[in-house]
Amino acid sequence: MSRQLQKQETRRRLLNAAYQVICDRGMLNTRVSDIAQAAGVSHGSLFVHFESLGEMIAAVVAEYGSRIARRTHELASQSASLEDLLRAHLAGIGEYEPFYTRLVIENRLLPQAVRDVWIGIQSAISFHFSQLAEQKLPGADMALLFNTWMGLVHYYLANGDLFAPEGRVLPRYADMLVAFYTKLAAGLRRP
Amino acid sequence: MKNCIACGMPMTKPEDYPNGNESKDYCRYCARPDGSMQSYDEKLQSMTAFIVRTQGLDETAARGVAQRSMAKLPAWKDQTH
Repeated sequence: MSRQLQKQETRRRLLNAAYQVICDRGMLNTRVSDIAQAAGVSHGSLFVHFESLGEMIAAVVAEYGSRIARRTHELASQSASLEDLLRAHLAGIGEYEPFYTRLVIENRLLPQAVRDVWIGIQSAISFHFSQLAEQKLPGADMALLFNTWMGLVHYYLANGDLFAPEGRVLPRYADMLVAFYTKLAAGLRRP
Repeated sequence: MKNCIACGMPMTKPEDYPNGNESKDYCRYCARPDGSMQSYDEKLQSMTAFIVRTQGLDETAARGVAQRSMAKLPAWKDQTH
């Protein structure tokens, strides 16, 4: 393997390891030694690839944030009803639930770059959400409609230890949340 | 699959392109009615308005997010706004 390829391979390994550590411990609690150990590299070699732990976390958030946004966009593009869209949204973030939950809980405390990625993820879904809502619920306040859904989903995720102590929130609550919100939204339909 | 150089949206089907023209590197939402690409100012304005309308953010905060997101995209990398 060439030196360049080897370098890329180590960087990839570090990003994947950091992703796993963040899923388990959160961004604010992650230490360099945790990532180095998980990646099987020395403490020092991490700094060959990233200037600081902060820079590394920002890189993980950018990489996985764009994967979440892309996946959500991909699934949501095929939705023909609000119910389908909500399911697609939960399926998209559900594939990354532990990491996404860390973002829900911690992003407000993290640097602006992370906040920007956060809004980027939300834009991937608010785009499809507003298109469908304008069609199905004309005249409704798009932002409030969207934020009501987000508030609901994020409340369950942020308090996952209380709602689903056994592990993941979405497999347990997705049907219930989608059914409730769809009913709520149907009540806004103009007669 | 290409990502729009001006807003980052993945372009997966012909309808995502301006007038269905898949040779373009930007999406239909970043194009003017004649198919040419919007200017930096037009895009900044439309992206800000999109965030405000669909997510309800404060306009100044939304503009900041739009500016920083655009700075990372190939079409606007060299913009000094």
